[in-house]
Amino acid sequence: MPSFHLIDPTRLAVELAYTLIVVFLCFTIYYKTREIYDLTKHEGVNYFRLTFLFFGFAYISRFISILLKLVVITFDIDFPRHIFGNFPMIFIGYFSTMAILSLIYSILWKKLHIKHIFLIFNVIALLIFSIAFISRSPFILILAQTVLLIVTSIIIAYYVMSKSGKISRLYILYILFFLFWIINIIALGPGRFIPFEVQTVFQIISVAVIGIIYHRVAKWTK
Amino acid sequence: MDQIKRKRDRLEVIYDILKIIRHHNNSIKPTPLLRYSNLSSQSFSEYLSELLEKGLLKEIIDDKGKKFLTLTDKGFKYLEKYKLILGFIEEFEL
Repeated sequence: MPSFHLIDPTRLAVELAYTLIVVFLCFTIYYKTREIYDLTKHEGVNYFRLTFLFFGFAYISRFISILLKLVVITFDIDFPRHIFGNFPMIFIGYFSTMAILSLIYSILWKKLHIKHIFLIFNVIALLIFSIAFISRSPFILILAQTVLLIVTSIIIAYYVMSKSGKISRLYILYILFFLFWIINIIALGPGRFIPFEVQTVFQIISVAVIGIIYHRVAKWTK
Repeated sequence: MDQIKRKRDRLEVIYDILKIIRHHNNSIKPTPLLRYSNLSSQSFSEYLSELLEKGLLKEIIDDKGKKFLTLTDKGFKYLEKYKLILGFIEEFEL
Protein backbone atom coordinates (compact mmCIF):
# COMPACT_ATOMS: atom_id res chain seq x y z
CA MET A 1 0.00 0.00 0.00
CA PRO A 2 1.64 3.26 -1.02
CA SER A 3 2.27 5.77 1.73
CA PHE A 4 0.53 8.91 0.49
CA HIS A 5 1.13 10.72 3.75
CA LEU A 6 4.72 11.44 2.71
CA ILE A 7 3.50 14.08 0.27
CA ASP A 8 3.19 17.38 2.06
CA PRO A 9 0.18 19.01 0.39
CA THR A 10 1.04 22.51 1.64
CA ARG A 11 4.57 22.35 0.29
CA LEU A 12 3.41 20.98 -3.03
CA ALA A 13 0.65 23.59 -3.33
CA VAL A 14 3.10 26.44 -2.60
CA GLU A 15 5.60 25.06 -5.11
CA LEU A 16 2.90 24.62 -7.73
CA ALA A 17 1.50 28.12 -7.23
CA TYR A 18 4.99 29.63 -7.26
CA THR A 19 5.95 27.76 -10.43
CA LEU A 20 2.72 28.67 -12.21
CA ILE A 21 3.08 32.39 -11.40
CA VAL A 22 6.76 32.59 -12.38
CA VAL A 23 6.29 30.53 -15.55
CA PHE A 24 3.25 32.58 -16.54
CA LEU A 25 5.17 35.85 -16.06
CA CYS A 26 8.25 34.55 -17.92
CA PHE A 27 6.27 33.30 -20.90
CA THR A 28 4.13 36.43 -20.99
CA ILE A 29 7.26 38.60 -21.12
CA TYR A 30 8.50 36.42 -24.01
CA TYR A 31 5.18 36.71 -25.81
CA LYS A 32 4.68 40.43 -25.20
CA THR A 33 8.09 41.34 -26.64
CA ARG A 34 7.50 39.34 -29.82
CA GLU A 35 6.21 42.29 -31.80
CA ILE A 36 9.16 44.54 -30.90
CA TYR A 37 11.54 41.80 -32.00
CA ASP A 38 9.60 41.08 -35.21
CA LEU A 39 9.74 44.73 -36.18
CA THR A 40 13.38 45.43 -35.31
CA LYS A 41 15.22 42.05 -35.28
CA HIS A 42 17.23 43.73 -32.53
CA GLU A 43 19.80 41.32 -31.09
CA GLY A 44 19.48 42.70 -27.56
CA VAL A 45 15.71 42.24 -27.64
CA ASN A 46 16.18 38.71 -28.99
CA TYR A 47 18.43 37.64 -26.10
CA PHE A 48 16.27 39.46 -23.56
CA ARG A 49 13.27 37.43 -24.73
CA LEU A 50 15.23 34.18 -24.76
CA THR A 51 16.22 34.81 -21.12
CA PHE A 52 12.61 34.59 -20.01
CA LEU A 53 11.78 31.71 -22.31
CA PHE A 54 14.66 29.68 -20.85
CA PHE A 55 13.86 30.71 -17.28
CA GLY A 56 10.25 29.61 -17.82
CA PHE A 57 11.45 26.18 -18.90
CA ALA A 58 13.97 26.07 -16.05
CA TYR A 59 11.22 26.67 -13.51
CA ILE A 60 9.02 24.00 -15.12
CA SER A 61 11.96 21.54 -14.99
CA ARG A 62 12.53 22.45 -11.36
CA PHE A 63 8.92 21.71 -10.48
CA ILE A 64 9.03 18.39 -12.35
CA SER A 65 12.15 17.52 -10.38
CA ILE A 66 10.33 18.19 -7.08
CA LEU A 67 7.30 16.25 -8.24
CA LEU A 68 9.37 13.24 -9.30
CA LYS A 69 11.19 13.15 -5.98
CA LEU A 70 7.91 13.25 -4.09
CA VAL A 71 6.49 10.46 -6.25
CA VAL A 72 9.58 8.29 -5.73
CA ILE A 73 9.49 8.83 -1.95
CA THR A 74 5.75 8.44 -1.59
CA PHE A 75 5.34 5.33 -3.66
CA ASP A 76 8.69 3.94 -2.59
CA ILE A 77 9.60 3.31 -6.23
CA ASP A 78 12.76 1.34 -6.68
CA PHE A 79 13.98 3.14 -9.77
CA PRO A 80 17.59 3.95 -10.56
CA ARG A 81 18.28 7.18 -8.69
CA HIS A 82 19.91 8.86 -11.66
CA ILE A 83 16.66 8.69 -13.64
CA PHE A 84 14.31 10.26 -11.12
CA GLY A 85 16.80 12.20 -9.05
CA ASN A 86 19.26 13.57 -11.56
CA PHE A 87 17.61 13.43 -14.96
CA PRO A 88 15.68 16.71 -14.42
CA MET A 89 19.02 18.27 -13.44
CA ILE A 90 20.01 18.15 -17.11
CA PHE A 91 17.09 20.36 -18.06
CA ILE A 92 17.37 22.64 -15.04
CA GLY A 93 21.10 23.08 -15.66
CA TYR A 94 20.72 23.64 -19.37
CA PHE A 95 17.78 26.06 -19.33
CA SER A 96 18.96 28.16 -16.39
CA THR A 97 22.52 28.47 -17.73
CA MET A 98 21.16 29.51 -21.12
CA ALA A 99 18.89 32.04 -19.39
CA ILE A 100 21.71 33.62 -17.38
CA LEU A 101 24.03 33.80 -20.41
CA SER A 102 21.27 35.22 -22.63
CA LEU A 103 20.51 38.01 -20.20
CA ILE A 104 24.17 38.94 -19.90
CA TYR A 105 24.55 38.98 -23.68
CA SER A 106 21.40 41.07 -24.16
CA ILE A 107 23.17 43.84 -22.24
CA LEU A 108 26.70 43.32 -23.55
CA TRP A 109 26.08 42.40 -27.20
CA LYS A 110 26.91 45.89 -28.45
CA LYS A 111 30.37 45.61 -26.90
CA LEU A 112 31.02 41.98 -27.77
CA HIS A 113 29.47 41.20 -31.18
CA ILE A 114 30.52 37.56 -31.02
CA LYS A 115 29.68 35.32 -33.95
CA HIS A 116 27.97 32.02 -33.17
CA ILE A 117 27.33 33.21 -29.61
CA PHE A 118 24.28 30.96 -29.30
CA LEU A 119 26.45 27.94 -30.08
CA ILE A 120 29.01 29.04 -27.48
CA PHE A 121 26.24 29.38 -24.89
CA ASN A 122 25.06 25.88 -25.71
CA VAL A 123 28.57 24.50 -25.22
CA ILE A 124 28.88 26.25 -21.81
CA ALA A 125 25.41 25.03 -20.76
CA LEU A 126 26.24 21.51 -21.97
CA LEU A 127 29.44 21.57 -19.94
CA ILE A 128 27.71 22.73 -16.76
CA PHE A 129 24.84 20.28 -16.91
CA SER A 130 27.16 17.41 -17.90
CA ILE A 131 29.24 18.05 -14.77
CA ALA A 132 26.06 18.24 -12.67
CA PHE A 133 24.71 15.04 -14.21
CA ILE A 134 27.93 13.02 -14.02
CA SER A 135 28.55 14.08 -10.41
CA ARG A 136 24.86 13.31 -9.65
CA SER A 137 24.77 16.23 -7.29
CA PRO A 138 22.65 19.38 -7.41
CA PHE A 139 25.40 21.06 -5.39
CA ILE A 140 27.80 20.95 -8.33
CA LEU A 141 25.12 22.72 -10.37
CA ILE A 142 24.64 25.26 -7.57
CA LEU A 143 28.41 25.80 -7.39
CA ALA A 144 28.79 26.15 -11.17
CA GLN A 145 25.88 28.57 -11.42
CA THR A 146 27.04 30.58 -8.40
CA VAL A 147 30.44 31.01 -10.06
CA LEU A 148 28.67 31.97 -13.30
CA LEU A 149 26.49 34.41 -11.37
CA ILE A 150 29.46 36.07 -9.64
CA VAL A 151 31.49 36.34 -12.85
CA THR A 152 28.59 37.72 -14.89
CA SER A 153 27.59 40.13 -12.10
CA ILE A 154 31.09 41.57 -12.06
CA ILE A 155 31.09 41.91 -15.86
CA ILE A 156 27.69 43.66 -15.90
CA ALA A 157 28.63 45.88 -12.94
CA TYR A 158 31.80 46.91 -14.76
CA TYR A 159 29.88 47.61 -17.96
CA VAL A 160 27.06 49.51 -16.24
CA MET A 161 29.49 51.55 -14.13
CA SER A 162 31.63 52.45 -17.14
CA LYS A 163 28.51 53.46 -19.08
CA SER A 164 26.57 55.53 -16.59
CA GLY A 165 28.82 55.73 -13.51
CA LYS A 166 26.20 54.23 -11.23
CA ILE A 167 24.47 50.94 -10.59
CA SER A 168 20.99 50.99 -12.12
CA ARG A 169 17.87 49.57 -10.48
CA LEU A 170 17.58 47.20 -13.40
CA TYR A 171 20.98 45.70 -12.55
CA ILE A 172 19.85 45.14 -8.95
CA LEU A 173 16.65 43.46 -10.20
CA TYR A 174 18.63 41.10 -12.42
CA ILE A 175 21.03 40.18 -9.62
CA LEU A 176 18.11 39.50 -7.26
CA PHE A 177 16.43 37.42 -9.95
CA PHE A 178 19.59 35.30 -10.35
CA LEU A 179 20.09 35.09 -6.61
CA PHE A 180 16.61 33.75 -6.00
CA TRP A 181 17.13 31.24 -8.76
CA ILE A 182 20.25 29.93 -6.96
CA ILE A 183 18.25 29.75 -3.70
CA ASN A 184 15.59 27.80 -5.56
CA ILE A 185 18.13 25.25 -6.73
CA ILE A 186 19.59 25.00 -3.22
CA ALA A 187 16.08 24.07 -2.08
CA LEU A 188 16.26 21.03 -4.39
CA GLY A 189 19.14 19.57 -2.39
CA PRO A 190 18.56 16.74 0.04
CA GLY A 191 20.00 18.65 2.98
CA ARG A 192 17.09 21.13 3.40
CA PHE A 193 19.49 23.92 4.26
CA ILE A 194 16.68 26.41 3.92
CA PRO A 195 13.56 25.86 6.05
CA PHE A 196 10.32 25.69 4.12
CA GLU A 197 8.97 28.92 5.66
CA VAL A 198 12.11 30.88 4.79
CA GLN A 199 12.08 29.45 1.28
CA THR A 200 8.46 30.57 0.87
CA VAL A 201 9.40 34.12 1.89
CA PHE A 202 12.20 34.07 -0.72
CA GLN A 203 9.73 32.82 -3.30
CA ILE A 204 7.30 35.64 -2.54
CA ILE A 205 10.10 38.22 -2.94
CA SER A 206 11.20 36.44 -6.10
CA VAL A 207 7.67 36.73 -7.55
CA ALA A 208 7.72 40.44 -6.67
CA VAL A 209 11.04 40.89 -8.51
CA ILE A 210 9.85 39.21 -11.69
CA GLY A 211 6.54 41.04 -11.29
CA ILE A 212 8.42 44.36 -11.39
CA ILE A 213 10.31 43.25 -14.52
CA TYR A 214 6.99 42.19 -16.08
CA HIS A 215 5.43 45.55 -15.19
CA ARG A 216 8.34 47.39 -16.85
CA VAL A 217 7.96 45.25 -19.96
CA ALA A 218 4.19 45.75 -20.06
CA LYS A 219 4.67 49.52 -19.97
CA TRP A 220 6.30 49.44 -23.43
CA THR A 221 4.42 46.59 -25.05
CA LYS A 222 0.82 47.78 -24.95
CA MET B 1 29.64 54.05 -26.53
CA ASP B 2 30.04 54.61 -30.28
CA GLN B 3 28.44 51.28 -31.01
CA ILE B 4 25.47 52.08 -28.80
CA LYS B 5 25.00 55.34 -30.66
CA ARG B 6 25.30 53.59 -34.02
CA LYS B 7 22.64 51.09 -32.97
CA ARG B 8 20.31 53.82 -31.78
CA ASP B 9 20.89 55.64 -35.00
CA ARG B 10 20.10 52.56 -37.01
CA LEU B 11 16.58 52.37 -35.56
CA GLU B 12 16.23 56.08 -36.10
CA VAL B 13 17.41 55.91 -39.71
CA ILE B 14 14.87 53.18 -40.39
CA TYR B 15 12.20 55.35 -38.80
CA ASP B 16 13.21 58.33 -40.95
CA ILE B 17 13.17 56.30 -44.19
CA LEU B 18 9.73 54.89 -43.42
CA LYS B 19 8.45 58.33 -42.44
CA ILE B 20 9.62 59.83 -45.73
CA ILE B 21 7.78 57.16 -47.69
CA ARG B 22 4.59 57.67 -45.68
CA HIS B 23 4.89 61.42 -46.17
CA HIS B 24 4.93 60.86 -49.97
CA ASN B 25 1.56 59.13 -49.99
CA ASN B 26 3.23 55.82 -49.39
CA SER B 27 4.86 55.71 -52.82
CA ILE B 28 8.30 57.03 -53.74
CA LYS B 29 11.03 56.18 -56.22
CA PRO B 30 14.38 55.01 -54.81
CA THR B 31 16.36 58.03 -56.08
CA PRO B 32 14.37 60.77 -54.31
CA LEU B 33 14.22 58.56 -51.23
CA LEU B 34 18.01 58.38 -51.24
CA ARG B 35 18.16 62.17 -51.47
CA TYR B 36 15.66 62.79 -48.66
CA SER B 37 17.18 60.19 -46.36
CA ASN B 38 20.59 61.95 -46.21
CA LEU B 39 22.53 58.72 -46.46
CA SER B 40 25.45 57.69 -48.65
CA SER B 41 24.54 55.48 -51.61
CA GLN B 42 26.17 52.49 -49.98
CA SER B 43 24.39 52.97 -46.64
CA PHE B 44 21.13 53.57 -48.41
CA SER B 45 21.47 50.35 -50.41
CA GLU B 46 22.20 48.43 -47.22
CA TYR B 47 19.20 49.91 -45.41
CA LEU B 48 16.97 49.34 -48.41
CA SER B 49 17.96 45.68 -48.65
CA GLU B 50 17.45 45.28 -44.92
CA LEU B 51 14.01 46.90 -44.96
CA LEU B 52 12.88 44.83 -47.94
CA GLU B 53 14.24 41.68 -46.33
CA LYS B 54 12.50 42.43 -43.02
CA GLY B 55 9.26 43.08 -44.85
CA LEU B 56 8.90 46.71 -43.76
CA LEU B 57 8.96 47.88 -47.39
CA LYS B 58 8.00 46.42 -50.71
CA GLU B 59 8.85 47.29 -54.27
CA ILE B 60 6.14 47.96 -56.79
CA ILE B 61 6.78 48.24 -60.54
CA ASP B 62 4.19 50.27 -62.46
CA ASP B 63 2.96 49.78 -66.05
CA LYS B 64 5.85 51.86 -67.41
CA GLY B 65 8.38 49.67 -65.62
CA LYS B 66 9.24 52.31 -62.98
CA LYS B 67 10.13 51.10 -59.53
CA PHE B 68 8.37 52.51 -56.45
CA LEU B 69 8.80 51.80 -52.78
CA THR B 70 5.83 51.51 -50.44
CA LEU B 71 5.33 50.64 -46.80
CA THR B 72 3.89 47.29 -45.83
CA ASP B 73 1.55 46.84 -42.85
CA LYS B 74 4.67 45.96 -40.87
CA GLY B 75 6.27 49.24 -41.96
CA PHE B 76 3.25 51.21 -40.74
CA LYS B 77 3.36 49.23 -37.50
CA TYR B 78 7.04 50.18 -37.04
CA LEU B 79 6.18 53.87 -37.39
CA GLU B 80 3.31 53.50 -34.97
CA LYS B 81 5.35 51.62 -32.36
CA TYR B 82 8.67 53.45 -32.78
CA LYS B 83 8.53 55.40 -29.52
CA LEU B 84 7.55 52.30 -27.56
CA ILE B 85 10.38 50.33 -29.20
CA LEU B 86 12.93 52.98 -28.24
CA GLY B 87 11.48 53.22 -24.74
CA PHE B 88 11.72 49.47 -24.25
CA ILE B 89 15.32 49.27 -25.50
CA GLU B 90 16.36 52.12 -23.22
CA GLU B 91 14.43 50.80 -20.23
CA PHE B 92 16.25 47.46 -20.38
CA GLU B 93 19.58 48.89 -21.57
CA LEU B 94 19.59 46.54 -24.56
